[in-house]
Amino acid sequence: MNKAVKEPFALNYGSYEEAREFLDNRTLKTVAEFTVNWEAIKIYCSLEEDGNASYWDAEYAEQQWGGIVAPPGLLLTWAMSLQWHPSKKRSHHFIAVTVPLPGNTLINVATKTEYERHLFLGDRVHVEDRLIDISREKNTRLGIGHFLTTQAKFTNQKDELIAIQTNQLFRYNAHEE
Amino acid sequence: MAKTMGLKYWNEIKPGDVINKITMDVPYEKVILDAAATQDFFPGHHNPEYAKNQGQKTIYLNTMAIEGFIDRIATDWAGPHTFIRMRQMQMKNSIYAGDTMSGEGEVKKCYQDEQGRYLIDVSILISTQDGPRVPATMTLELPTRE
Repeated sequence: MNKAVKEPFALNYGSYEEAREFLDNRTLKTVAEFTVNWEAIKIYCSLEEDGNASYWDAEYAEQQWGGIVAPPGLLLTWAMSLQWHPSKKRSHHFIAVTVPLPGNTLINVATKTEYERHLFLGDRVHVEDRLIDISREKNTRLGIGHFLTTQAKFTNQKDELIAIQTNQLFRYNAHEE
Repeated sequence: MAKTMGLKYWNEIKPGDVINKITMDVPYEKVILDAAATQDFFPGHHNPEYAKNQGQKTIYLNTMAIEGFIDRIATDWAGPHTFIRMRQMQMKNSIYAGDTMSGEGEVKKCYQDEQGRYLIDVSILISTQDGPRVPATMTLELPTRE
């Protein structure tokens, strides 16, 4: 059995004290592989069953915003790394997944996004993520672990601010049944 | 499409206004579409065995899918001229493949900020057949009508 099957989502392991050393660390700025494109917008809108004319109707979007805009909920997707690339190693732009902790899994628990301007077709997202807090060990309904709070800054190719996202996830070991 | 849309304007909205309920089924197909559409292949979103080992019932929607549903509730109600300034959400419980989710909300506050933008704060609650799942708050920017 290969590693990807035995361990579907590889994490770094370590102690809470080791994790604290990552506080205030930032990822290198990630430049999205893809530009904002209408095809991806339509696939996401089909998921949401969202007929918003700003995403579908070029004439309306041009008049209202100056062009088709990306749904705000797609913000994270533009900078996702490909599953495989001929020359680049796969890397996540989420700093939280690089932090060494005891938990063998994670789940997202809260997120706040403040949007400054739209993303338009052809824009290329840049993102920089920073670890701003790690909780002491907590025992929750799901398991025992730590809450990690991160803040990501998203800009476009002109270095204009698109959004700031503050996110909290729980890195934990599930309770045994 | 633009000709038939309903548009709400800031000066026609007041605190207490109800944001219409929207319901959507979440079959397994939609959760897999979620992983593909958002390029989020964390195994809890496509691998039931992994999700169960996490203490979950089965695979579940990711953050971006829920964000998009919250945004749709707001913009289906206020119209496509809405700019979402802020969205905050807490995933208190997961939304699983096989669930039916719905969301509705209420206007909390109407105001102008220091930059002169016309804003409203709204609360939205996403639930399934098993009860509340994701409470959210949003700040929406809307045009005014003379």
